[in-house]
Amino acid sequence: MSSTSALPDSVESHLPGETGVWMFIIGDILVFSLLFSVFVYDRSQEVALFVEQQQLLNQTLGLLNTVLLLTSSWLVALAVHGARAGQLLRARGCFGLAILCGIGFVVVKYFEWGEKMAADLTIETNNFFMYYYLMTGIHLLHMMIGIGVLVFLWQSVRDTECDAQGVGVLESGACFWHLVDILWIALFALLYLMR
Amino acid sequence: MNIRNQLICAWSAMGFTAICLAGFLFANFIPPISPNLSAEAVAAIYRENALSMRFGILLIMSSAGFICSFAAALAMQMKRIEGDLVPVFTYAQLGAGCVTTLVFVFASVFWTGAAFRPDHDPELTRMLNDIGWITLLMTFAPFIIQNIALGLCILSDTQAEPVFPRWVGYYNLWVAMLFVPGGLLTFFKTGPFAWDGLFVWWVPFAVFFTWYLAMCYILLGAIQRQAQAEPAAA
Repeated sequence: MSSTSALPDSVESHLPGETGVWMFIIGDILVFSLLFSVFVYDRSQEVALFVEQQQLLNQTLGLLNTVLLLTSSWLVALAVHGARAGQLLRARGCFGLAILCGIGFVVVKYFEWGEKMAADLTIETNNFFMYYYLMTGIHLLHMMIGIGVLVFLWQSVRDTECDAQGVGVLESGACFWHLVDILWIALFALLYLMR
Repeated sequence: MNIRNQLICAWSAMGFTAICLAGFLFANFIPPISPNLSAEAVAAIYRENALSMRFGILLIMSSAGFICSFAAALAMQMKRIEGDLVPVFTYAQLGAGCVTTLVFVFASVFWTGAAFRPDHDPELTRMLNDIGWITLLMTFAPFIIQNIALGLCILSDTQAEPVFPRWVGYYNLWVAMLFVPGGLLTFFKTGPFAWDGLFVWWVPFAVFFTWYLAMCYILLGAIQRQAQAEPAAA
């Protein structure tokens, strides 16, 4: 729909990326909502345990990851903006930095999980840690796919001239990255902060 | 190009869905036998329903081959996107689809092993029952390759008149995501990620069978468009 528009930056209602991507995003949010609902329900069955176990999480690392993801989302938005304005070099640089932030997130997660496992807190410890590993793990899978998407975008900015269709592809990929970001924010709130 | 043969293979998705679902009903597998039951309890289920379960499992087995013919029908339309030279997603989809058949075949074999001698040691019955369910639900790998290959193929279609609507590509990528949690059943006997839980059984089960119905409908549309576009060959 939007990719056929001659003016991708027009102020009229413009859906970034193509419609199919939004179907995927809404579908994915639906599934995560289901997962979050099940978590909140199970949590309500043993609130005391969940609150107590939550204290064992490393909120500093969680916050660090939140900052990394928010920064990468901002960079991706800058990159798409740059590509729209024809500043391909800037766009490429921003995508590159966003990929580094994404990799940083995975590295932090590695140390965070390592720390938990060293303390004998595993997926089988209790329901809280089951959800901790599952939710962060499923999100991590999204991260890996998202980093792959960003690498593809980074590559495509280098190789092609950015016409309206090219920008449409960038927008679609960027939307997926924002999805990964927004899911993490919900996850961070539910797992690390919810009292 | 033969439209009639394609239609036969496309409709086999309906045959698969109907026969397989009937099989699950007769076998009393909806909801699944809980992984949390004692060996004695599992053996009692197989003892008390032996005949109905054998029949249901036989139906599941009977339906499995249709997965191959449907994957072949999908492959023919995918080939219209990829061409004859390098139809690599087409082959990936076809190969993964055929392996999916084996998932249903082997799950049926193990369940039949459990139902065949209902009076044998309960531990053995439960073990065969376990392996049957694990075969069916943990084996997400071929399923997701079938969906991802089909999804990427559809998204790579640059023809003015695409073979499939573009959203079908994203739909398939989404379906692939939903099968992945099946692998987690290895860790749990209860809860949403056990093999009778929400994310291993109910969501994938519903998504899997609606995928066959939806893709059958979409595929019939694609074949019809081909018949109109190339009437001479029909």
